[in-house]
Amino acid sequence: MGHAVAIIGTGQTHCGKRTDVSYPELIYEAVSRAFEDSGLSPDDIEAVVSGSMPPAMEGVNNPHLYWADAMGAGGKPLIRIATCGSTGISLAHAGFYHVSSGLFDLVLVVGAEKMYEGNPQGVMATVADPFFQRPFLAGAPGIFALQSNEWAHRYGLEEKRVRMAAAELSVRNHTDALDNPYAHIKVKIAVEDVLKSRVIAYPVRILDVCPASDGACAVIMASERMVRKMGAKPAWIRGVGYCGEEAFFGEGDKVVWQAAINAAKTAYKQAGITDPRKEIDVAEVYNPFTFQEMLFYECFGFCDFGQACELVEKGVVMRGGDLPCDPSGGVLCTNPIGATGLQRAAEIALQVTNKAGDHQIPGASTGLTHAMGGLDQFNGIMIISNSL
Amino acid sequence: MGKRVAIVDTVQTEHGDKLEDNIREIMFGVVRQLLDRVGIEKSEIGTMVSASSDYWEGISCSNAYYYDAAGANLKSGSNAEEDSGLAFIYGFMRILSGDYKTALVISITKCSETPSAATLTHMSADPFFHRPVGLNETVVAGLQAREYMNRYGITEEDLAMVVVKNLGNAQKNPYAHRGGQLSEEEVLASSMMVYPLREMDIPSTSDGACAVLLAEEKIARDLTDTPIFVEGVGWGTDHSFLGDRNLLNGSLPKAAERAYQMAGVKDPSNEIDMAEICDITSFHEILWMEQLGFCPPGKGADLVKDGVTAMHGKLPVNPSGGLFGANPYVARGLIRIAEAAMQLKGEAGDRQVLDVSRAVAQSVHGLGGQLHSVIILGT
Amino acid sequence: MSGESRILEGYVSLPYKWAMGAATTRFFEELKNKKIMGTKCPKCNRVLIPARSFCSHCFEKIDEWKEVSQEGTLRTWCTVNFSYEGQPKEPPYILGIIDLDGADVGLPHFVGGVDLDDFEEAAKKVHIGGRVRAVWKENRTGNILDIDYFQPVE
Ligand SMILES: [Zn+2]
Repeated sequence: MGHAVAIIGTGQTHCGKRTDVSYPELIYEAVSRAFEDSGLSPDDIEAVVSGSMPPAMEGVNNPHLYWADAMGAGGKPLIRIATCGSTGISLAHAGFYHVSSGLFDLVLVVGAEKMYEGNPQGVMATVADPFFQRPFLAGAPGIFALQSNEWAHRYGLEEKRVRMAAAELSVRNHTDALDNPYAHIKVKIAVEDVLKSRVIAYPVRILDVCPASDGACAVIMASERMVRKMGAKPAWIRGVGYCGEEAFFGEGDKVVWQAAINAAKTAYKQAGITDPRKEIDVAEVYNPFTFQEMLFYECFGFCDFGQACELVEKGVVMRGGDLPCDPSGGVLCTNPIGATGLQRAAEIALQVTNKAGDHQIPGASTGLTHAMGGLDQFNGIMIISNSL
Repeated sequence: MGKRVAIVDTVQTEHGDKLEDNIREIMFGVVRQLLDRVGIEKSEIGTMVSASSDYWEGISCSNAYYYDAAGANLKSGSNAEEDSGLAFIYGFMRILSGDYKTALVISITKCSETPSAATLTHMSADPFFHRPVGLNETVVAGLQAREYMNRYGITEEDLAMVVVKNLGNAQKNPYAHRGGQLSEEEVLASSMMVYPLREMDIPSTSDGACAVLLAEEKIARDLTDTPIFVEGVGWGTDHSFLGDRNLLNGSLPKAAERAYQMAGVKDPSNEIDMAEICDITSFHEILWMEQLGFCPPGKGADLVKDGVTAMHGKLPVNPSGGLFGANPYVARGLIRIAEAAMQLKGEAGDRQVLDVSRAVAQSVHGLGGQLHSVIILGT
Repeated sequence: MSGESRILEGYVSLPYKWAMGAATTRFFEELKNKKIMGTKCPKCNRVLIPARSFCSHCFEKIDEWKEVSQEGTLRTWCTVNFSYEGQPKEPPYILGIIDLDGADVGLPHFVGGVDLDDFEEAAKKVHIGGRVRAVWKENRTGNILDIDYFQPVE
């Protein structure tokens, strides 16, 4: 193992339709809050990592150079990391490796997206290659609907039961988002609202699907030496895992999903976790689609394969349950894509340091954070804890 | 830094105007060739870091499309976008961390499939201030060159000498896209692109890919008799708004200082034996050499004139022909690193320079050279 | 793999709606009134144009507005003689970075009012260190091209 790495500050913007600020100004907002949270200033930072989704989303090539000043990066090392939906977790990993390598003591990590400036679905369509997949896989809902249906079919799950579990997850996320000051969608809904909402791609209804958001997130990472020097009580990064697979959707098994399983296994091994259900106190599972969230529970070992509905039905993954998931309201209610994965890490850092405010899970000491990207292709995990 | 990391081997495509194969096929080709040369299996690769660009690929999340073609299926990978010099550095950091023993670094660009560099770098200009007045890489290069000429009094003939040298060197590089024995007069006869830079002062773009295998010292020594060690890395960005920047003293001097410090290099002009740098124009080879500490500011053209940077000069610069030889946009930085490694291994064939034990490679992207990376390699 | 490899031609074209933020919005509004406004950083005292809401160096918020001169010094210039897709102006034309009096950063913009057919003559008028002055468009709609170009003054 390399040098120990901690998260010593986080900053998030309010998410939503942020036409009040330019793209660099949005980033400045998140970065300023991270400095405020950590008590550091831009001069303290030794290197910067930043990323977003396809730059076509905002129509600026090399967005990291466009925002360099908004991150205080002038004169400093800077790398742009982008891996589609998993960009945020890839950013967190890159920040981790900057410090873990021993080259830097303090690194600023920034993820952002301004989805109202472009045509999100149009851009998402261009993630698919132009030869075979682009004409068919128009946007994400279709892909996830395919995956969800395959999952339910594989385990012979009754349609009505899966539908109800997904609706309950939608309600859970929408309810939790009300307690997260930075969340985008803040409406009180009931199970009936989900069941009555418009079908986007069967079985996925509009309330099963995340919004497009404008938003940014910044995280400051530090070496153990710097943490001791500052006398900080940080969130420690205990394990990282990432795994990608084939470009062509339909080539790999997306139910017993190796990319998700491997990413979790690697991170668990580093963190010394053998029984995730017991040892993880809180998780921010990347959940742009309710159905897919359940599939992840299985791949991450929260339950056996085919058993995810039960976790929802028994309230295990709700606040108050023994493995609460997405107390922030999750991706389902807030999704500035390039920031989304990093928000998951920031949220878990807040949880394990008891700084999550109204959506704090009492006593949480170890959490899992996750994001998924590529063409339903990449999964990244980070285990974060309040002790080394 | 306790751990040492080395380049095991490198592979390039034969760069060209238009490579016929699909991106995935080309990627597979270079990675496969690299594994075969080194004699290992895909399963022995620890991690993969790639460099590409959505705008330079026309496919969003550009690494997703070739991820498995790069040998990374069911592996941990990442994408340092826009600049393959940075992907190399990220791969290096991943090994330093101890999480991985080997890292595959790859990059590809097929400029034949994309809009022109002028159009795509125009898209790098912010939409409010820079884009409406038509800034792009070439236009900013002109502004920079004009300012330099005014300050130091170099001439168009000085610039032409760089073109003649690099195209001449490229003739001996089997991977180069173009090369030739030209005269300065021929360069000066080419049409004016962006005053004071002529068409031949600016390398046109290419198709190409490159793959480099990095490993921690012990593994590297097992896999090759000639490991090339990463002695130092440094990188850095300049400010966003062009008017805020000093175009003749940007982020490169600092990036170079970081790399030299890490490598323990105090006097680059004497301690560096050769260099592969991103000559995005003839003028920039001169500017970058100065900022890499090869000579004082304003003296870069003298190095060319005096033959110091010629193939068998005291400090050969771009014996591969540099970007004049081939310019597959995002991949060009990694190609500089690969070329420097080949020289240090003594495997550079007809373009081999003599007595080299330490080399510098430099990569850059962004208008006017906004973000530079510098890598020091040694035997 | 051998055999024929054909080319699939495609085109990427998407609409954008870029939020400007308050500082840029006001900067453009003032251009309609032929005013070039900067903002002054309280920490380093630099006057930045175009007006910004934060200082790139000090990382401080800024809200003090300062009008700068419409005249300034040409820091550098070049001619643009080639064309590309998406280009905002027919080549050939001149581009410069202008250090306006009262501003601490330069503004990239067109330099005009000179005949480029005679390059020698043009180069006499347009030179580094030379003075230039803003020439305004008749119809100003609130964007950076409300300034038509900067013209050499002597
Ligand atoms: Zn300031």
